[in-house]
Amino acid sequence: MSAAALLAATGPLDPAARSFLSPTGVEIVFLLVGIAVLGSAVVAVTTKQLVHAALWLVAALGGLAVEFLLLTAEFVAWVQVLIYLGSVVVLVLFGLMLTKAPIGRSPDADSKNRWVALVVALASAGTLVTLVVDAFRTSWIDLGAGGGSAAVTGASLFRTWVLPFEALSVLLLAALVGAIVLSRGAGRRVPAPRSGRIRAGRPVGSNGTVAQRAAAAPPAEAPETAPAEES
Amino acid sequence: MSFPGAGLAKGLAVTLRTMTRKTVTAQYPDAQPSLPPRSRGVIALLEENCTVCMLCARECPDWCIYIDSHKETLPAADPNARARTRNVLDRFAIDFSLCMYCGICIEVCPFDALFWSPEFEYAETDILELTHERDRLREWMWTVPVPPALDPAAEEPKEIASARKAADKLAAAAAAALEQGGDAQ
Amino acid sequence: MNLFDTVLRCVATLVVFLTLPLVIGQTEHKVMAHMQGRLGPMYAGGFHGWAQLIADGVKFAQKEDIVPAGADRRIFQLAPAVSLLPYLFVLLAIPVGPDGFVGQAIDAGLFFVLAVMGVGVIGKLMAGWASANKFSLLGGLRTAAQLMSYELPMVLAAASVAMAAGTLSLPGIVDAWQWYWIPWQIIGAFVFFTAGLAELQRPPFDMPVADSEIIFGAYTEYTGLRFALFLLSEYVGILVVSALTAVLFLGGWHGPLPDQLGWLWTLLKTFALAFVVIWLRVTYPRLREDQLMRFAWTVLIPLALVQLALTGIIKVAIS
Ligand code: SF4
Ligand code: SF4
Repeated sequence: MSAAALLAATGPLDPAARSFLSPTGVEIVFLLVGIAVLGSAVVAVTTKQLVHAALWLVAALGGLAVEFLLLTAEFVAWVQVLIYLGSVVVLVLFGLMLTKAPIGRSPDADSKNRWVALVVALASAGTLVTLVVDAFRTSWIDLGAGGGSAAVTGASLFRTWVLPFEALSVLLLAALVGAIVLSRGAGRRVPAPRSGRIRAGRPVGSNGTVAQRAAAAPPAEAPETAPAEES
Repeated sequence: MSFPGAGLAKGLAVTLRTMTRKTVTAQYPDAQPSLPPRSRGVIALLEENCTVCMLCARECPDWCIYIDSHKETLPAADPNARARTRNVLDRFAIDFSLCMYCGICIEVCPFDALFWSPEFEYAETDILELTHERDRLREWMWTVPVPPALDPAAEEPKEIASARKAADKLAAAAAAALEQGGDAQ
Repeated sequence: MNLFDTVLRCVATLVVFLTLPLVIGQTEHKVMAHMQGRLGPMYAGGFHGWAQLIADGVKFAQKEDIVPAGADRRIFQLAPAVSLLPYLFVLLAIPVGPDGFVGQAIDAGLFFVLAVMGVGVIGKLMAGWASANKFSLLGGLRTAAQLMSYELPMVLAAASVAMAAGTLSLPGIVDAWQWYWIPWQIIGAFVFFTAGLAELQRPPFDMPVADSEIIFGAYTEYTGLRFALFLLSEYVGILVVSALTAVLFLGGWHGPLPDQLGWLWTLLKTFALAFVVIWLRVTYPRLREDQLMRFAWTVLIPLALVQLALTGIIKVAIS
């Protein structure tokens, strides 16, 4: 039923009415962009330069947005750009900068898990490809203009697929709450260095030593910090 | 009367009001600035007054005044008197690349030979040119403005005060003489 | 739409992209000067220094193009383009007048515009990281943090307009605009404009380029044309944010004049907003980094949510 709704929006399913041997311009572009996306994705996971990996990710995700556009899924393409390029990659870059990612190669940017990761990646790719190939076979979806407009996407999302959509949002909410709980940490609290007063005998800004001593003797620190937090 | 954001609005009003007002920029090379009296532009030398006492050169914190002189013996006017000697100025130069315009030389000159002139357009492409020799310093003399008038409530200058005192005394004596003469008649 | 039409639209957008930012820049020179009781540039070009920015451009073009020794060359050189080009694409989608007076009408135009504007920030991050300079890195970090905090209120405010209009297409939004949207969407307009300012890193939200403490943030190591490109991207950004606010919240081409002159209204509103951008820059001191973040999360986002709720309630009530 859901697939029917989707297809009704995009065009008739017409099995094997078209030959795959005389590609149109759009199809050629689609293939080329696909190769570019695949290439940048591979470089993103193999390069030894951390920030370059993130930037190759930009290329791969941007290429994906172009693929969506070629499939007339305009809305999805812009969401891809807004969320992945505009926020996720920026977040990744932010994290890399916070950890002072070095310029040039980082030889330790390697993981013992790379073979496991490769296996998982191949397995999931295999599953997806089999699934898609099995579902559509040689059927031909005629992509009319506006087939992926905001109206159509919204209608199918909030009429047909509303239950999975809501389930997903609950899942995301749970992940969000979980992330907050994890980042709050359990137990050991490090008193924040107070501004405005320099403690005698300790170098300014030596947060590490303060934290260590605080961990060693929390009761001694507690009365000191309490008024500072109140004010 | 104060609502949240009043200060922000006030700031915006201030900048907007300033924009509608006339600017204070003086477009210098096109319009000459009107400098206040006593502006310190350049130092002028009235060499007729200079006695080569060397006070200025010695007091200058930068040692940027160069004076050369020689002694000249004047023939005695009176055969019984000794012959007089007099200092003659050979060179007087101020290096304005060193001068810091403190004005000490002008203050210290006991003979009123140095003056401030408000002229300031004497930039040079060669730093050596900034050493103004005596004729150049003399030329600046023509640009020295008349001293500004005293404040209405200011104390009288000493010269005028003493001159007036003398004149008053004379007048009083004359008046007394006149009175005596009148009495005698 | 034939080929000639397409080429014409692209060329027109390019011309707008290259000239209007200069007009805004010159206005900034002059307005800022007069707000500070100065005259600003007076000589270049003869009449009130109108050619100052052209002279600046010539100067930038003559400068040596330096890449620091420790920098990541390719990324360093690519960064200005990445930060500038997105704005060109955004300009393509902003409607100026009714009946297709727009570079390219896009169905999800609002989303397109917001998405592509976010991409420009990646250029600044690249510049900050690739310069091999701690000040640049700090600038990049602050840029990223600022983007992440202000993107959300901006999108929320834009979503409120989209809800009110019932469409994501920019010409569609302006078509649906009514005068009473101004009081109705005023909070959204404030949030959108402020967040836009912050995303452009314009004062008072210019912590990422705070010259008194981190020199010029991500642009510290740039000289010559690449630096000029960054500056240009800032001014195109002003144009884009002003035009978007005018289109989304102030009714674009709606005005007392007949529809043929609608483009004049859009331009007028855009420039009025650009003036406000400059005005704010002259008036307010820079916000500190923590104030900046607090302002986004504790003022703008709640306001945007209130606006969203308000829009929803009124929309349901009147339909
Ligand atoms: S003004 Fe001061 S520094 Fe200049 S020549 Fe006179 S004493 Fe020397
Ligand atoms: S102090 Fe006056 S009189 Fe003496 S040398 Fe200097 S200028 Fe001449």
